[in-house]
Amino acid sequence: MKIKKATSTIIFEIITYGLLAIGSLVCVFPFIIILSGSFTDNVTILTEGYSILPRNFTLSAYETIFRAPKDILQAYKMTLYYTVVGTAIGLIMITLTGYVISRREFKYRNQVSFLIYFTSIFGGGMIPWYLMYANVLNLKGSTFAIWFPALMSPFLIILMRTFIVGSVPEAITESAKIDGAGHFTIFAKIVMPVLGPGLATVGLFLALGYWNDWYRSSMFSTNSETWELQFYLYDLLNATTALKQMSQGTSISTAQLPTESVKLAMAVVATGPVLLLYPFVQKYFVSGITVGAVKG
Amino acid sequence: MKKVKRLVSILLVLTMVLALTGCGSKSAADSLDEAAITETAPEETTSAEETTETEAAELDTSERVDLVFYVMGDAPADEKMVEDAINEILLERVNATIDMQFSTWTDFQQKYSLELTAGSADLIYIANWLNYGQLATSGAFEELDGLLDTVAPALKETVGEANLNMCRVDGKIYAVPCAWAEYVCNGIKYREDLRVKYDLPVPDSLENFEAYLLGIKENDPNQGLLTVTTEESQGFLTAFDAAWIFNIKYPWVNTNGLPYGLASNYDTPADVYDYWYSDDFVEDMKLMKKWADLGFWSKSALSDTNNSESYKNGLCVAEIAGQNPNKQITALQDFKNDGHDDWQSEYLAYGEVTNTIYPGHATQNGTAIVRGCKNPERALKVLEILMTDEEVNRLVQYGIEGVHYEIDDQGIYHNLNSASPTFAYEGFNTWALRNGEFKLPQETDVVLNEMFDKYEKLGEQTKFPNVNIYNGFSENYDAYQAERTAVSNVMKQYLAPLQAGLVDDVDAAVAEFRQKMTDAGIEVCRDGFKEQWAAYCEEYGYK
Repeated sequence: MKIKKATSTIIFEIITYGLLAIGSLVCVFPFIIILSGSFTDNVTILTEGYSILPRNFTLSAYETIFRAPKDILQAYKMTLYYTVVGTAIGLIMITLTGYVISRREFKYRNQVSFLIYFTSIFGGGMIPWYLMYANVLNLKGSTFAIWFPALMSPFLIILMRTFIVGSVPEAITESAKIDGAGHFTIFAKIVMPVLGPGLATVGLFLALGYWNDWYRSSMFSTNSETWELQFYLYDLLNATTALKQMSQGTSISTAQLPTESVKLAMAVVATGPVLLLYPFVQKYFVSGITVGAVKG
Repeated sequence: MKKVKRLVSILLVLTMVLALTGCGSKSAADSLDEAAITETAPEETTSAEETTETEAAELDTSERVDLVFYVMGDAPADEKMVEDAINEILLERVNATIDMQFSTWTDFQQKYSLELTAGSADLIYIANWLNYGQLATSGAFEELDGLLDTVAPALKETVGEANLNMCRVDGKIYAVPCAWAEYVCNGIKYREDLRVKYDLPVPDSLENFEAYLLGIKENDPNQGLLTVTTEESQGFLTAFDAAWIFNIKYPWVNTNGLPYGLASNYDTPADVYDYWYSDDFVEDMKLMKKWADLGFWSKSALSDTNNSESYKNGLCVAEIAGQNPNKQITALQDFKNDGHDDWQSEYLAYGEVTNTIYPGHATQNGTAIVRGCKNPERALKVLEILMTDEEVNRLVQYGIEGVHYEIDDQGIYHNLNSASPTFAYEGFNTWALRNGEFKLPQETDVVLNEMFDKYEKLGEQTKFPNVNIYNGFSENYDAYQAERTAVSNVMKQYLAPLQAGLVDDVDAAVAEFRQKMTDAGIEVCRDGFKEQWAAYCEEYGYK
């Protein structure tokens, strides 16, 4: 016999699914517009506007991008480099820090934690930050200045610390200590193996941060070969606006500006890989955030 | 417990105070003030060096100097190759090298100020749209008066005394302008072929412009007429693009008059009068309403975004805001490239009608030496070579002949990889190094130069022959920043619909607009502006 659902449940479900459907449509819609626009003839976009299905289908925008793919490939390469290096080093440092300030026997852990948390509320501001890297450390123009500043963040350290406290009971590390294990052995043999979801979460946060960053390229790059992908794209758009505005006041050439459909195709090319990767790590992402949710 | 509570509340208060001070928008000029203070010490030593340098007439080039030249925009692909070629010559001549550094077009205003604060560059591009006047006042640049005479007399001669004087801030020269006069006279770009086809008048007055648009509308009801938005009309002059058309009616000293609804005529710049509160304004707004009702622009014009390619694609038949001769040239080219051979674009500068033609101001494009530069003499010498030596100037502006460009029989510049240039025309974006004597014309420049010649002749006949009066002025609004912001908001909210003619009753809307303006504190802004403007006109003798 089939269990009949109560009418109220059915109504509830209709409403919930309806709202969810609308919500996801709102999220997906802009992306569909971008995708269809990138396959549309530029003049059509200008005269008829955007549409859900491409009118006057053409691949010319992608041809334009990949005709001289050197720049975009270089930007891809650099972003990959920053993401891999930054995420790897950042993970190691965050995990180590998280482990240290989670140990009760570390006498100054409150002071050290305070120093870390303090920076999440009080920052030095943009100008001292810039001067520090550009003038004091003289790192302007180096790739180091692009991945280094984002290695650690107070939020991720707290997340990792909470995760370690939550998943490794004090008793286990204590018994290991009694058995003669040093801190590195405890960390490597006992803590690390249970940190899977935590590492995935923090790693994903770091990697997404690196993938989506453009600001540090804007500040510290002196050569377009060190540009991050997002900055490459962002600057392309900014150059278009800036040159158009400038051409009001002075004679400069605006002949080489990208068209609407090229801009959209760029956006697709840049977001594509992340979109493909996301479903595979998402389950860690969700569980990881909730795992670290109870703080303190 | 009580103790903890007290501690927490103290902490909270501290946080708030800090957050509040942190939020106060600190302008670039403020931070530069600080930079200037900290940098006064090195400055004294440099001026001491200067005097010794003056005595020793010959520039000491025994030590090699590597200079950084900070310019706007993006780097060309062949940056290194061209720099090497330039440096080879510079090393030999003055034992110096330059390294071009580029701001990129992302956050360039902010990065420009940061660059000045950090002081890592030696030479830097300046322009009025990069707040040259304010920055010079706050001590961001080296004074050049003495240096120009001792180190770079040839440069001084090339640029000319009159041009240099326009770069004076508080009586001192801080920048060297380019040596090429250009005319950026705003005007109307319209479709000559349609005008001839329907036998319509040249749009050289408000009535004729109306007749031109109406004529096209009657003959071809589906043709779009104007795509005006609010985007070309930022700042304190106008709020909607259609209002630019009134430049054809008034011989104002500056396109769209003076800020805060003030105005003065080109012939009597110091004689400031009121526009927003005058009867002329009401009459003008009634005309805008009439045009809007006639359907000259879209009912949603206020929220539309600017489509700068609409003229190119035939979606409108005239553009009236933010146009200049160069855009006319672009339009001509676009029509040709897109296969619209039967389309013709014609250009009419507002100043041709009102006799107020003038070239761009000297501070439009210039080069300055950053305060704190360790070798200002050498930097200026290098600038002199970059501008006055034909070979070097060509290198820096166009790259290497035979690799990046060639010159044809008529002396016209052609890029050798025009599809994706490795070094485009003026590829280093060094618009400030333009020298009329060496400047290579591009194909399109032939028409442009004809237009410039015409404007130059007209400009000579004005009361101040070929002088751009307004753009050398820089307003210091620190004292009335709050009122200014309020005025800006009222402009967006009440002036834009008025100028777009999208109100039911013009008289009532004008009355409301004026009331809101008064409430916002327009008088404070006006008084502040008038005082500074009068001082400026007095200083330069614009009466």
